[in-house]
Amino acid sequence: MQSEKKLTKEDTWRPAELRRHIREKDSSERYSRHREDTDRTRREGESMERRHRDPDREKLKEKKLRHGDTGDRYAEQKKDRSYDRRSEKDRERRGEEERKKQVGDARNYRETILDKEYFREREKQKDRHKYKEKDREKVRERHSEDWERRREDREKERRREEREKEHRRERRRHDESEVRRDQTEKLHREPGDRQHRGTHDDRRRDKDIQEAKRRSEQSEDRDKKQEHRRNNEERERRHKERRHHDEKDERESKERREFKKTDDEVRNSHGNRKQTEREKQKERHKKEEEGAERRHKDRGHSEVAKEDLERDHGEKRSSRKSQSDKSLRHEKMEEETKDDVAVSKQQMMDGKNGGEHVEKAELAEEEYEEDFEDYEEDFEDLDESAEETEDEVHDGKEEQTAQPSKEIESIRRAMAEENERAGTAQSRRSIDREEEEHVSKGSERNQSKISRHGKFIDFVAAKQREVSQKAAAKQKKRGAELLHLIDLDFSLTCSLLDIPPVSEYEMYIKSFGNANTKQAYVQCNEDNTDRDVQTEEIEICEKWTQHPPEFSGACGDPNFSQEAQDKTRDELILDSQQLMSFLDSASQVMVVLLEEDQAERKSLRKLTTQTDSLSFSDGSLQLNTTLPFLSGRQISLVHFSQGQKHTMLSVHMPKVQASTPHLDSCSMVCVWNIWEPSRPQKILIYEAEIQCCCFSPGKSTLVFAGTQVGSVVLWDLRENSSNHYKLKIGEDEWTFRHPTFSTDAVMSSPGHASPVASVEVIPSFVAGGLRAEVPLLAFEEGLSFQLASLDESGMLNIWVVVELPKGNEAGSLTDLGLRPGGKVKLLHSSSLLTVQRPLLKVAGTARPFQTMLLKYHPTDSNQFFIGTNLGLVSHGTSHGLKTPPQFYGFQEVEERTVDINSIHFSPFRPNLFLVGCADGSIRLHTVNHEQPVAEWKNSTAGEPVISAQWAQTRPAIFSVLDAASNLHIWDMMKDDAQPLITKKMSTDGVTAMAVFGDSGHQNTYSGIALAHESGKIELHYFTPTLTVLNPTEEKKLESIMTEAF
Amino acid sequence: MVEVEGSDSYLIRPNHQHKFKPTIVKEYIHEILRERLSGVLYDPESVPELTRSLAEAVKDKVKNAGFDKYKLIVQVIIGEQRGQGVKMSSKCLWDADTDNYAADVFMNESLFCLVAVFGSYYY
Repeated sequence: MQSEKKLTKEDTWRPAELRRHIREKDSSERYSRHREDTDRTRREGESMERRHRDPDREKLKEKKLRHGDTGDRYAEQKKDRSYDRRSEKDRERRGEEERKKQVGDARNYRETILDKEYFREREKQKDRHKYKEKDREKVRERHSEDWERRREDREKERRREEREKEHRRERRRHDESEVRRDQTEKLHREPGDRQHRGTHDDRRRDKDIQEAKRRSEQSEDRDKKQEHRRNNEERERRHKERRHHDEKDERESKERREFKKTDDEVRNSHGNRKQTEREKQKERHKKEEEGAERRHKDRGHSEVAKEDLERDHGEKRSSRKSQSDKSLRHEKMEEETKDDVAVSKQQMMDGKNGGEHVEKAELAEEEYEEDFEDYEEDFEDLDESAEETEDEVHDGKEEQTAQPSKEIESIRRAMAEENERAGTAQSRRSIDREEEEHVSKGSERNQSKISRHGKFIDFVAAKQREVSQKAAAKQKKRGAELLHLIDLDFSLTCSLLDIPPVSEYEMYIKSFGNANTKQAYVQCNEDNTDRDVQTEEIEICEKWTQHPPEFSGACGDPNFSQEAQDKTRDELILDSQQLMSFLDSASQVMVVLLEEDQAERKSLRKLTTQTDSLSFSDGSLQLNTTLPFLSGRQISLVHFSQGQKHTMLSVHMPKVQASTPHLDSCSMVCVWNIWEPSRPQKILIYEAEIQCCCFSPGKSTLVFAGTQVGSVVLWDLRENSSNHYKLKIGEDEWTFRHPTFSTDAVMSSPGHASPVASVEVIPSFVAGGLRAEVPLLAFEEGLSFQLASLDESGMLNIWVVVELPKGNEAGSLTDLGLRPGGKVKLLHSSSLLTVQRPLLKVAGTARPFQTMLLKYHPTDSNQFFIGTNLGLVSHGTSHGLKTPPQFYGFQEVEERTVDINSIHFSPFRPNLFLVGCADGSIRLHTVNHEQPVAEWKNSTAGEPVISAQWAQTRPAIFSVLDAASNLHIWDMMKDDAQPLITKKMSTDGVTAMAVFGDSGHQNTYSGIALAHESGKIELHYFTPTLTVLNPTEEKKLESIMTEAF
Repeated sequence: MVEVEGSDSYLIRPNHQHKFKPTIVKEYIHEILRERLSGVLYDPESVPELTRSLAEAVKDKVKNAGFDKYKLIVQVIIGEQRGQGVKMSSKCLWDADTDNYAADVFMNESLFCLVAVFGSYYY
């Protein structure tokens, strides 16, 4: 492939390049041709002839302008005539064969084009063979055997080639055609040279007869023939080009000659057709023979020339090719002769002019065969010499051809132009281009048709076509080569588009779904979410409680801090206290006013009524002791506060017959305001019997009491009534206050072992003669004071009264005697035994020594006076220093075992005190003297004195109550030996008596409170004579004291 | 014929930069289709002309893309959209190393348009 490729390098060239290349080559060839000019001069005639021939062929193509055959054919016919004479039957037989053959041909045509072409080729070869043989025959007749031998050699070669070719092609061919061909070949070959000529003639005639039938076939065939003709044209053109330059002039002159001849011939043919034809044939035969001779001669030259040419081009060609070329050359020569025959035939046809169907048929047949020969001419490009010789042979014959000079002339002119234009470009066409020409046949056919009609050949277009064909072939080849290098695959399948069908519903929705709808947006309140917890937090609250729930402190809430609680309470208390205090004072004032008003009206009436009974009384007031819980109780003690003169307390003994078990077994202390007699201010209760009672100094906020069981108790009157036990009796609600503090719990060590005889507040100021105002004030500020309690065994306990800053509602752990919420407590300070041994020994014989009463010196807290059951008042001091006298006794030295029931210090003279004895004697003592100042015996008629008290407003008056309920009022100014007034309370015995009075400047009053057995308490105001202070009284009293000593 | 004179070498493979690149081509197609077809309604009378002009446009565009030695085949199909299913595929006998294709589909309410460009290397 590679080598071939290199050889056919031009294949890949572009047309332009190719043309250029060829031109160059041409020019070089031209030079070489110049060298051979000497040889070529001999071929002038030949070239002339050839040019002649070409127009002839053009005419042949134009079917209607066909004239009678010329030259060889007629010559042959002539010969055939002679043969004809010999065997008419033979001819017929051959005609039959011919017919068969033709039929076969037609059939072959109708098969494949390839087959047809091959067949045609085969036919052509056969014909060629025939003609060759004919030629050979002629040559044999006239020339030496050398030539013939050579020819035979060539023929053999050719045949061998043919056979090879055929062998190749026939493989694909039908058996039928193969057989037929063999037959025909045999038919053509076996009869030998002589027969050949005969058969040809016969055949022609037969054909004439059958022409009508074959017309249709021919028309088909003609197309193919035209292709061949086209090839011929080109070939001729090429040939002409070579000789064009140097032989032009000669050619023209010859042509002119020939035209004349042809004209003559035409004329002849028109006249006596057959005769002239025969003559012509004879002539032609002669000429042919001459031409053959000439050809023979020329062949020597031509071979030399050919060899030269071959030498020129031999480099490119193989030896085998050159051989084939030679053989082709021979074929060519034969073809040339045949061409001549065809021309003569044409001329003949012209002569016959339409009527001669037979001739036409023959012509057609001839043409048909001729085409195949033309086709072969392509192989002879280089073989000029051979052709030339052949042409020379024709020279003579062509002179005879009768053709319209005009047409020829025009055609020739066109061709000349064409040649000039094409130049030498095509001269060197590659030789082995069979394939290409096969391909290009179709297009060329059309072209030839056109040119035939217009009598003009478009060579440019043809050339272009050829070029394009070449290019196509090249591409094809290239493609074939490339196809080895490239792998084509068919695997890829690409899906370009895939739209799924829309479902019915979707379609509906698409087209109608939005018809009557409107799009609206609704925003739910989604972002406004609410979070909820179902379980609620459990509220925890801590509470505590205490039993018994007697007051508000019984329960509490620790969430409130104790302080805050207390604070609020304090505030509340403060506020309420302020309010209470205000209300208290205000209400008291109001009540007092009201009661005064009421009492005034009553007392006025009473006073008027009672004036008789109580001479000393200026008016009386009865405290409302008709309360249910007080009824049936004896009053053991009535006591007035020293600080607040209008405040009084009464001690009610427990009931003898208990009706209500709780209250009746208790002693009761009622605190009264004498201006408010309707009801007691406070009611204090204690479970045991109360022996003695006293107020706190100053403001009477505390009440102390000594009990029979030996305990000292105190009540804080400031405590809120809500904290105390309340009892609803009847319509009124009464508050019963239990003691704030009791020494019952602390009895173990410092307490009293016997009933408490007396409790006394120790004055807070030391002896010095000061008035009581200052210490009272001091107490108001919360300072503590001391309390002394004396039991019957003589044991004196001194307590410190301590007020706590705040009370503990829960109760105190240390002070067990303190009531919850209580603020005041007693701290045991000291205790001392007041009764000395000697004294006891002295008195011990008769009855057990008892201390009955305790009194402190009003201005000296260090000195205390104890009344005993021996009629003596012992004088002691708290702090060791003994002050004389030790005892205060009777005026007589003798001792009497008499209880001292009362000791009372004069409010005007602190050193002066009264002592009342159970034997009814009353003594007046001064602190400094053992002996009494005065002593009144039997003043009460021997009745024991229960109480002897100084009047508060006049220093010289004192009152005495004896056990027989006689009240004696003494006025020492008027009478110092006997009482001024003695009043016997016979109807209702008086159990207790207390003197009250205020020595104040604005309102001076004085009176006496009497507690009756029935439980009534009467307050009697002294008449002004007993109340108003006499300025001389103190002097009198002074004088009495000084008189005594 | 581009071959080098006298040598037997063939240029069988394109340079990389001259190779047919489907992505680029597809973009071109996409652009052109979007430009030309957006909002176009299917009209059976005008569509043939439209396909032709589209094909020309695509071809011109791709030609200028510098795919040397490529034979281009542009196929434009426009169809009406009426909910029918369409399936289209191509099969090529070619050299898969050099040849390629790019296709893009444009669709709107009334029509679909498929443009396929096949590039075949011309050895």
